[in-house]
Parts: sequence; structure tokens; C-alpha cells
Amino acid sequence: MNAAAQAVTIVMVEDDAGHARLIEKNLKRAGVFNEVRHFLDGTSALEFLVGAGRKEHRPLLVLLDLNLPDMSGFDILAKLKADPQLRAVPVIVLTTTDDEREIRRGYELGCSVYITKPVNYDTFAQAVRQLGLFLAVIQVPPGP
Amino acid sequence: MPMTKTMLGRLSVLLLAIGFAALLCTGAGLVWLVETTRNFAYGVEQTQDVRLAASHVLSRLQDAETSQRGYLLTREASYLEPYYAAEEALPRDLPDLARLIAQDGGLPAPPQQLRDLARAKMEELARTIALASSGQWEAALAMVQTDSGKASMDAIRAVVAGIEERGSRRLAARSAGLDTNGRRLLIGAGAAFVLMLGVTLGAAALALRYTRELEVAQAAVVAANGSLERRVAERTEALERASDEVQRFAYIVSHDLRAPLVNVMGFTAELEAALPPLTALLDRAAAEAPALVTPEAKAAVAEDIPEAVGFIRSSTQRMDRLINAILRLSREGRRALQPEMVSLTALMEGLGASLQHQLDAAGATLQVAPGLPVVQTDRVAAEQVFGNLLDNAVKYLDPSRPGRITVRGRVAGTQAVIEVEDNGRGIDPRDHGRIFELFRRSGRQDRPGEGIGLAHVRALARRLGGDVECRSAPGLGSTFRVTLALVAPATPPPAPEELDR
Repeated sequence: MNAAAQAVTIVMVEDDAGHARLIEKNLKRAGVFNEVRHFLDGTSALEFLVGAGRKEHRPLLVLLDLNLPDMSGFDILAKLKADPQLRAVPVIVLTTTDDEREIRRGYELGCSVYITKPVNYDTFAQAVRQLGLFLAVIQVPPGP
Repeated sequence: MPMTKTMLGRLSVLLLAIGFAALLCTGAGLVWLVETTRNFAYGVEQTQDVRLAASHVLSRLQDAETSQRGYLLTREASYLEPYYAAEEALPRDLPDLARLIAQDGGLPAPPQQLRDLARAKMEELARTIALASSGQWEAALAMVQTDSGKASMDAIRAVVAGIEERGSRRLAARSAGLDTNGRRLLIGAGAAFVLMLGVTLGAAALALRYTRELEVAQAAVVAANGSLERRVAERTEALERASDEVQRFAYIVSHDLRAPLVNVMGFTAELEAALPPLTALLDRAAAEAPALVTPEAKAAVAEDIPEAVGFIRSSTQRMDRLINAILRLSREGRRALQPEMVSLTALMEGLGASLQHQLDAAGATLQVAPGLPVVQTDRVAAEQVFGNLLDNAVKYLDPSRPGRITVRGRVAGTQAVIEVEDNGRGIDPRDHGRIFELFRRSGRQDRPGEGIGLAHVRALARRLGGDVECRSAPGLGSTFRVTLALVAPATPPPAPEELDR
């Protein structure tokens, strides 16, 4: 088991390219340099996560937006939590919704963290950076 | 033809009148018959009296003749007693008979004739008795033997028989009349009975028909009510659907508007983050190669870009506030109401306590009238309604006079009416409707706010089964009158699937 093999891959499911870019930039600013796989829709993300030909036993972390063009982020969350191998994968819901019923539903379905994307950029960057710090704790630093 | 109540009444009265008239006729006929019968009985009595009197006269005359014959045969004076009795009685009896016949409606001739004959007879008897008494017996007997006595007696008998016969005829005629009258009355009574039966049956038929028509009408009313209720239910459902759609629309719009806003703000921040290196570069260039630094480039980095970023930021922040307001309104509209018993007095006091700081700062007083109604309503919504109104009252006081805010309330029917009155700056009458619209404000824009509070108040008051209205005069103050249902309608929480989209 080497460090590179154990490096956590961040799967980002986000249909808004701008949001994806901002998240990536801020993660890097926070010192998170893990590989980020970006999917613009739910179908391709599910194909990668639970579809045929998926790699076994990869350490993953999923950053999930709820408002996707083809499905609700809750659908992806439910599929992940129903999969015996992926059930333990931390899922961070990152979305514009701050409706408390949606947040409760997210946690009920098993999301690890629910983060509301603030419009105020400072707060947004702050949130992503804190997320980065959180990720830094659970990840192995990238190899030289 | 449908029968109206008035028509039924008129027809019933008409039938009743007909029946009553028939009854009256029958009664009158009966009275008349009784009277006729009584007259008849009286007539019978009179006729009998006449016959009796006539036979009496006849028997007096016969007695007198018999007495004369006895005297002539026996020459005993005692035989003459009946004669004297007759002589004494006849002057009384004959006028009596004449009077009775006249009363009975008989002709005056027969009694006159009888009187003449009787007088002649008595004179004849008197003559023979006078001859006998003077001892001329033979002469007296000879007078008797002329048979003139028998002839005069026969004439008397014929006259009396005639009187009797005429009396009997009158009796028969009366009896026949009575019989006819009785038959007529019977026919009349029968006709009246038939008429009354007809009237009764007619009235019954009328009532039956009216009842049937009433039943039909009632069934129609019930059916109409049913369809009305169905229509109301349909409309209500349609309204609820429309309201739900508006809520969803507001929710989706506000939600989706935030996503691009995140980008605008995010990349604006990126631009800002790019500024320090550029500024540093420009500074270095200014120090090392001043010729490279044009005034335009300097202005762009030092002023134009920060200014543009500043405007973008303030605008997006404002837009974010507006979107959040819509989102909050939409969420408030979707929130399930949980009615509970709420004492508005306690609620106002709580709000007043939390506003105390602002009140003190403004030098204003809040007076809550005692005895505000207790309503069954959603506490949170009611707090927001009155909290917003009190906030506004404090916010828009007139600095030229000490602020005075009064809350009072009463129960009117099924509603509680609460008035929040202030002596603040007031609202232009043109804006009294507009202030309840979203993002609309009135008067000088010298206080922070987005024009959301009153829109929120109205939406909530309506959800609580009431409404809000404003009375105000600029420079004098404003009164906001809130009505709340004493028992607010409970709303079920939205189904979870509503959140999926």
C-alpha cells in the first residue's frame, strides 16, 4: 500500500462550471492537491462511481451538488449509501439550498457534511477552505 | 305551470270561499225549510180549528133541531134546553168560525152563507116552538112536516162540508208544497255536499301538488347546493394549486438565481485577488521603467477596476438580499401552520420587551391596551406579523415629537381586530395599497430595508385567515389594522416529494 494508491480522489458532481472552478481554486488555496474528478451531470458521475468497470477499493470523497440537470443529488446520495462498497465514502453536499427540510433530508440519507454555497464570496471561499482543512485531515499528502 | 306559495294561498282561499258559500246556502235552505214546516203546522192547526168550529156550529144546529123535534113530540119543555143552549151559543160560534176561516185564508162567502142559513134555521125553529108554546101544536107540526126544516138542515150540512173540504184542500196543497220544498232542499243539500266534497278534494289535490312541487324544488335546491359545494371545492383546489405553483415558482426562481450569483461574486473576488499582483507589478514598473506605465493603466488598476468590483459587489449583495427575501416568503408560505392558543397581550408584551432598546433609543413609548383577544393561531406567524408592524412603527417615527405607539384590539364576529397605531411620519395615501407589495417602499428612503416587511405581514395575515389594512395621514401617524381568524386554519405540511425537482 503506497501513498499514491491511498490518495483520496475527490469526485465533484457539479453542473455549474463556474462553481466547479471556484471550488477547485479554493481547495488548492487551502492546500488540498488531491486529484479532482469533475462530472457535470448525475449520469456520468454515477457511471464513474457505481457503473460497470469501476475500480475496487478506491478511497473517494464525493462533493455533491443537489441541483443537477438530469437528476437530484439526493438520488446519487441514495445510490451511494445503498452500495455496500461505497457506503463509507464521505459525501459532502454543497449546494445553494439552505432549506432546513432539504438539509435534514440530506443528513437522513447519510451525507457527512452539508454546506450551503454562500453568495458572499468571502464566506464561500472560507467554507471551501474549511472543507479543504477537513479533507487535509483525512487525506494522505500527495507524493513528491 | 309551477305553483307559487301566493297562488296556493289564493286558490285555497277561493276553494274555502266556495265551500263556505255552499254551507251557507245549505244552512239558509234548512232555516227556510224549518220556517215553512212551522208555517205548515200552524196552517194545519188553523184548518183543524176551522173544521172543529164548523162541526161545532153544525152540531149546535142539529142539537137545536133535535131539541125542537123532541119538544114537539113530547111537549115537555125540558127538551128545549139544547135549543136554548144553541140559541145562546151560535151568535158567538158563528163569528168565531168566520174569523178562523178568514185567518186560515178561506173565502168570506161560505161563513156568511152559513150564518144566513143558521139564522134562517133558528128563526124557523123559533117560529115552530113559539106556535107550540102557544098551544098550536098542529100548526107547529104542520110546519115541520113541510120538510123545509130538513132542506135548510141539508143546505147547512152542504156548506159545512164545503168549508171542511176547502180546508182539506188547503192542507193538501200545503203538504205538497212542503214535500216539494223538502225535496228541493234535499237536492240542494246534495249539490252542496257534492260541491264541498269537490272543494275538499280540490284543496287536497292542490296541497298535494304544491307539496310535490315543493319536494321537486327542494331536490333541485339540494342538487344545486351539491354542485355549488363541488364547484367551491374545485375552485378552492384550483386556487390552492395556483398558490402552490406560485410558491414553487418563487422557490425555484430564487434558488436558481443564486447559482449564477455565486459565480458573479466568486469571480469578482478572483478579480480582486488578481489586483494586488497587478498593483505590485505596476509599482515595480513605475519604479524601474516609468515610461512603461501609462496614466490609463495606472487609472485602470488603481481606480477603475476597484470601482467596478465595488459596484458589482454591492449590486450582487443587494440581489442576494432580494432573492433571500423571496425565498423566505416562499418558505413561509410553505411552512405548515400550527395553531395554538395565543394570548395576544402576552405576545405583544414579549415583542415590546425585545423592542425596548430601540424604543429607548428613539425616546418612544409602547402602550398595549389591556384585554387583547386570545386567538387560536400560529404563534410564529403572529409574532412575525406584529413584530414587523412594531418594528416599522419604531423605525418611521417622527423625530420632531415623542413617539407614541399604541396597540389595541377587540373581537368582531369570528375575527380578532388588532390595531397598531403610531404618531410617526405617516404614509402618503397614494401608497396605502402599494406598501404591501413586495420590494415597494414609501416616503423618504432614509431607513434601511428592502420593502419586504409589509408584504410578509400581509401574506402571513391572509394565511392566518385575516388581512391587514392601513390608515394613515402624512405627518400625523399611521394605523395598521390586522384582522386574524379567532381560529386559524391548520395547514398540512407539504409532502416531502414536493422538494424533489
